[in-house]
Amino acid sequence: MSAITTKSISAASLALAVGAALSLAAAPAAAQDRMADKEKCFGVALKGKNDCKAGAGTTCAGTSKVDYQGNAWSLVPKGSCEKTASPSSPTGHGQLAEFKEKKV
Amino acid sequence: MSARDDFARALLDPDQPCPAGLVAWNGSDPARRFQVYRNNVLVALVDALADGFMVTRELVGDAFFRAMAAAHARAHPPRSPVLACYGADFPGFIARFPPAAGLPYLADVARLEYLRVVACHAADVAPVSQAALAARLADEAGLPALGLGLQPSLAVLSSRFAVVSLWAAHHGVGDLAAVLPEAAETALVLRPGLEVEVIGIPPASGVFIAALQSGRPLGQAADEAMALGVGFDLAATLGLLLQKSAVTALHPSGSIS
Repeated sequence: MSAITTKSISAASLALAVGAALSLAAAPAAAQDRMADKEKCFGVALKGKNDCKAGAGTTCAGTSKVDYQGNAWSLVPKGSCEKTASPSSPTGHGQLAEFKEKKV
Repeated sequence: MSARDDFARALLDPDQPCPAGLVAWNGSDPARRFQVYRNNVLVALVDALADGFMVTRELVGDAFFRAMAAAHARAHPPRSPVLACYGADFPGFIARFPPAAGLPYLADVARLEYLRVVACHAADVAPVSQAALAARLADEAGLPALGLGLQPSLAVLSSRFAVVSLWAAHHGVGDLAAVLPEAAETALVLRPGLEVEVIGIPPASGVFIAALQSGRPLGQAADEAMALGVGFDLAATLGLLLQKSAVTALHPSGSIS
């Protein structure tokens, strides 16, 4: 932590680390297998939805003024965060409404 | 102001009147047809964000998310026709979005999710062979100046919050109730092959990888990581990069053009 320490890692230490890294990574099949197997992949299948799909929310009525804006601002974010642990909360879990009040 | 500008502005602002001069092919009311189109534009943008920011959405609930996404879409419409990559500004918007202030970690979770979107669409580059790296060991004196090129999909996110644990818990890994959001975590995002991965790494490893990514050579990147003073396992970090096929080029002079 002193100001005079300007020590650099030695070439020998780097060589040791690179050698160790190479042996750690010496499982060349792993990367290939990963590409081949068919695990489910979360959130990767993104698609650009720029067409008018006939799903929920895409009504063909003129609802452009009717959105959540009016009441959303007063909504407290809710969801699984309320199950998230919080050391500052009396319940031990996030209580979103009280969260700000707890932080003095 | 051209008619096109009027049209574009009215698309995102429901208080704007229907642009003048519109005609419907079947003689129906253009204002009503325009409202339908306006609605679908906004829904499409909100849906695109909902697809890319699933954990963010789960954290705040669907109604809140859609309201926030709509506000963002109006303030920051896409600048590219590639909707799949829409949302670069969304995390920053969330950070400044007063109703979300109660969840200080929300913006970083969104940052992590956007890095996954970017990684998903990043170019594929073949990794260097381990034999090529092993060959560099013959020139030990040149190692400190060796530059490493990394996968375009790779990114490091250093957060004051437990972004990796939060993200993982929402994907069924670990217990959400046991996650302490205030614990700092560093995320490594990359795509070895076809799947985007999110890996929690020690902070010093994050410093090291970010330095390599900025083009600094091996020796300098290791120095920066060790200067953090929290312990740095160079071999494990390099081993991880190699395992994940993350190293794509070796630059012996350290100069990365």
